[in-house]
Amino acid sequence: MRQVRRGPIVAVAVIAALALAVPILPLADPLHMDVANHLAAPSLSHPLGLDEFGRDVLSRLLWGARTSLLVAAASASLACIFGVVLGLAGGYLRGVTELLAVRSMDIVLCFPPLLLALLIVTLLGPGTGTLIPLLAVLYLPGFVRVVNAGVLSVRGRDYVEAMRALGARPTLIMARTILPNIAGPVLVQLSLAAASAIVLESGLSFLGLGVVPPAPSWGLMIGAARSTMAQAPVLLLWPCAALCMTIYAMNTLCDALRDAVDPHAEPDRLWRRREMPPQPSSPVPSGNAVLDVRNMSIEIATPLGVIHPVRDVSFSLRAGETLAIVGESGSGKSLTALALLGLLPPAAHVAKGSAWLQGHNLLRLTDERFRRVRGGVLTMIFQDPQSSLNPVHRIGAQIAEAMRAHFSVARQEAKEEVEELLTRVGFPDAKRHARAYPHQLSGGMRQRAMIAMAIANDPRLLIADEPTTALDVTIQAQVLDLLAELRKELRMGLVFITHSLPVVAEIADRVLVMYAGEVVEQGPVRELFAAPLHPYTIALLRSAPHDDGGLPEGIPGAVPSPHDMPPGCVFAPRCEVRQPACEKHPPPLVEASPGRATRCLRWRELA
Amino acid sequence: MPWYLRRIVAALVLVWVVASIVFLAIRLVPGDPAELLLSQGGVAPDPAAVAELHNQLGLDRPLLTQYFSNFGHLLVGDLGRSLQDGAPVGGEIATRLPRTLELIIAAAIIAVVLGIPSGMLAGLRPRGLIDDLGAVLSAFALAVPVFVLGTLLVLIFAQHLHWVPAGGYVPFAQDPIRHLGLVAMPALTIGIGLAAVVFRMTRTAVLDVSQQDFIRTARAKGLGPVRILLHHVLRNALMPVVTVLALHLGTLLGGTVLVEYVFNYPGLSGLLVAAVNARDYPEVQGVVLVISILFVLLNLAVDLLYAVLDPRVSAA
Repeated sequence: MRQVRRGPIVAVAVIAALALAVPILPLADPLHMDVANHLAAPSLSHPLGLDEFGRDVLSRLLWGARTSLLVAAASASLACIFGVVLGLAGGYLRGVTELLAVRSMDIVLCFPPLLLALLIVTLLGPGTGTLIPLLAVLYLPGFVRVVNAGVLSVRGRDYVEAMRALGARPTLIMARTILPNIAGPVLVQLSLAAASAIVLESGLSFLGLGVVPPAPSWGLMIGAARSTMAQAPVLLLWPCAALCMTIYAMNTLCDALRDAVDPHAEPDRLWRRREMPPQPSSPVPSGNAVLDVRNMSIEIATPLGVIHPVRDVSFSLRAGETLAIVGESGSGKSLTALALLGLLPPAAHVAKGSAWLQGHNLLRLTDERFRRVRGGVLTMIFQDPQSSLNPVHRIGAQIAEAMRAHFSVARQEAKEEVEELLTRVGFPDAKRHARAYPHQLSGGMRQRAMIAMAIANDPRLLIADEPTTALDVTIQAQVLDLLAELRKELRMGLVFITHSLPVVAEIADRVLVMYAGEVVEQGPVRELFAAPLHPYTIALLRSAPHDDGGLPEGIPGAVPSPHDMPPGCVFAPRCEVRQPACEKHPPPLVEASPGRATRCLRWRELA
Repeated sequence: MPWYLRRIVAALVLVWVVASIVFLAIRLVPGDPAELLLSQGGVAPDPAAVAELHNQLGLDRPLLTQYFSNFGHLLVGDLGRSLQDGAPVGGEIATRLPRTLELIIAAAIIAVVLGIPSGMLAGLRPRGLIDDLGAVLSAFALAVPVFVLGTLLVLIFAQHLHWVPAGGYVPFAQDPIRHLGLVAMPALTIGIGLAAVVFRMTRTAVLDVSQQDFIRTARAKGLGPVRILLHHVLRNALMPVVTVLALHLGTLLGGTVLVEYVFNYPGLSGLLVAAVNARDYPEVQGVVLVISILFVLLNLAVDLLYAVLDPRVSAA
C-alpha cells in the first residue's frame, strides 16, 4: 500500500474533531426554543440566526455533525466487524458456512437500498436506534464480498499452505496472514460505507424517517428550512453546505484510499507522436532499398532521467529480402519496429535519424500522411494475436476494415477479397471463418488472420514482431512457412524480429544482432552463423539448442540497465575476451567485409 | 440448458425469494393493520370490530394458509385489494409505475448525454482540460445528495426565478408542455448525479481500452482517429458503462422516494410510503414485488445486452 494523500485525511479529521468537541464548545443549547424570535437574523449571540422555532442554528449545525458522524461511524464499523467475520469464516471454512455467510448476502442486494431502508424504518419506527443497525445491514454485503474475495485469493498461497502444514490453527492463520492482506480493500470499503451512510441518514431524516425531532440533524434541518424557504432561504443554505462539504471530504478520502490500495499509473498522452527535434535534412538515399534506416535513436523520459533504449541503428532492406533482427528482451528490437510505424508508446520518441520508405522519411511524416502509409505499403504483425485482434468484431470485418482504410472498396467486393485472403493464408473454410469472432479461433488461426490483415493491401514491407513466440511449436513452423511463401509471392521486404536463432536460420537472408540498444553485428545469415565476428553473437549461438544434442550454454551476467550503461563497449561486462581498451570508449561499428559489420575491437582475432 | 435460460430461471427464483421475504417480514413485524384502520383519533377500536375485519381479510388464518392463498393469487396476476379503500392494488400501481419509469428514463438520458461524450474526451486526454473540469464537476455532483439538489433547484428556479412550477404532476395528454416541465426538474435532479457516475466510468473504460493491443493493431492498419474511437474504443468501453448504468437505474426503481417527495411527484415511491404507514399489506407487497421484478428483469436485460455487445459472453 502506498502513501495515502494527506488533504482528505486532514479534512475528515477536522470535521470529526469538531463533532467530538461540540459538547465542550461554548454553544447555545440546540434544543432551547425562543419562539418569539423565530427566524431571527444573525446576531452576536446567534452568529447564524435562529430557526423556525427560535433555536440557535450554529449550535444545531454542529450538533447535527455529531449525529451524522455518529450514525455513519457506528453503522460502518458494525458492518465492517460482522462483514469481516462472516467473510473470513465463509472464505476460509467453505462449504455450508460459505453458503450461509456469503451467498445469503445476495438477498440483501436484491432490494434497492433505499427501498429496503424505507421498509425497515417504517416497520420498526424511526430513530437512531433503528438507523444504525439498518445501515449496517445495507453495507454488510459489501464487506463480506471484499473479505471473501481477499481470502479466496490468499488462502491458496504458499505461505498460508506452509502455516497450515506446520499445524497452525485456522484462527491464527487468518489473523496472521489473511487479515493484513485484506486490510487495504476493507479500509476502502469502510470509507465508502461511511460516506454512503451520511447520505442515507440525511435522506431518511429529511423524510422524517431517520433521526427523530427535536434532535438536531442536517437532514431534519433541511426538511424544516424547506417549509420556511420563502421567508428565510438562507436557513436552507447552512445545513446543505455542511452536508455537501462533509460528503465531499468523505468521497475524496475514499478516492485517496483507493488510489493508495490500488495504485495505477496513467499515461499522459495517448496516440500522439512527439515531433523529432529539427536536424539537418538527410538526402534521399539512392539505390534499390525498400527501407533505409540511418542512425535512428530513441529516447524515453523516465522518472529517473532520460534513457536511450535504441542508439544509432542503421540498416537497409531490398525488395523480397528477409532481415532478421535478433536480440534478448531489452535490446531495443521491438522499439525499433514500433518507431518505424509511428506507434511508439507515449513516453518514447525518436530523437534522431531517418528511415526512408519509397521516398518518404517515415520519421518526419505528419500524422495524416503516416496514417496512409501504415497498413498500406508498410504493415506489421504482433506477438500476441489474441490481444491484437478486437474481441467484439468478426475476423472478416477486421480484415475488410484494413482494405477500406486505404482504398474505396464496395462492401460485396471487400467480402470476396477477404475470403480470398483467408484462403490464401490457409483457412480451410474462408466463408465461415470470416464470420467468426477471434475467441472462436485457435492461436495459429488468429495469427493467420493477422497476416491476412497485413497483406491485404499488397505491402512493400512487412514487419513481424516475434509473430510465433506465443504459438505452439508445431504451429510456429507453419506460420514461418506461410510468411516465407508470401514474401516470395508478393516480393515484399520482411523484417522479422525474434530472439530465436533457429527461426533466423530458417527464414532470414540477413541478420542484425542487437544488444542493449545497439547493432553489434550484421551480415548475411550463413556467413554470420558460420563465422560470427562479435563475442555476443558467439555467445548467442552457443546458447541456442544444438543440432548434435550438445547442451546449450547460458550467457553469464545480465543486460545492463538503461539507466547505467557501461562507458565503453556495452557488452564488455559480460564479455569473455574483453581488454582494458574495450571498457574505455564505445567501439565503432566497422565494416569487416562487404555486407558485414561488427562493433568489436578484436574482431580480427575472432575471425 | 442454454445460458440465457439458466439466467431466466435464476431470476424467477430470486423473485419468489423476494416475495416470500416481503410476505413474512410485513406480518412478523409489530403493528396490526386492522387496529390501525379502525382506530380514529387515538381511541382504541372495538375488539369485536377488529376481529371481524381480521376474519374478512383472512388475517386470522394460519400463516402458511395465508402464504399459499397469497401466492395462488399472485400466480394469476392478482395483487389483491388495498386495505385502505378496497381499490385493486394492480390498478393503482399501473397508473403510478409509468410516471416513475418516465422519471428514471429521462434521468438516464440526461446521464448518458452528459456523461458519455465528456467521459470519452477525458479518457482520451487524461489530465487535459476536459478531464480536469470533469473531475471537479463530477466530484461536486457526487457530493450533493438528490434531496439537497432538488430543494436547491426548487429554491432557485421555482421560488426565485419563477421559471418552472415547484412541483406536481400533469398528465401528458392534458398539457404536454407543462408535463415535460414538471418531469424535467426531478429528472435533472437524479440525472446530474448519475451523469457524474457515467462520466467517471466512461473515462476509466476509454483510458483502459485505448491502451489495449488491438487499438495498436487498429492504428497499424492506418485507420483514422474517429474510426478507431467509435468502432474500436467506444464499442469495447461501453460494456462496463452499460453495466454500471443499469445497476444504478435498478437502485433508482425504489430510490426515487426522495425526489418524488421533494417535487411532490405522484410516483410509485409515494404510494409505497403511504402504504407502509397504513400497514396496507397487499399494497406494500404489490409495490415491492413489482419493483423487485423490474429490478430482476433489468439485470436480466443487462445480461442479454451484454451478450449482444460482447460476443465472448454467450460462448462462456
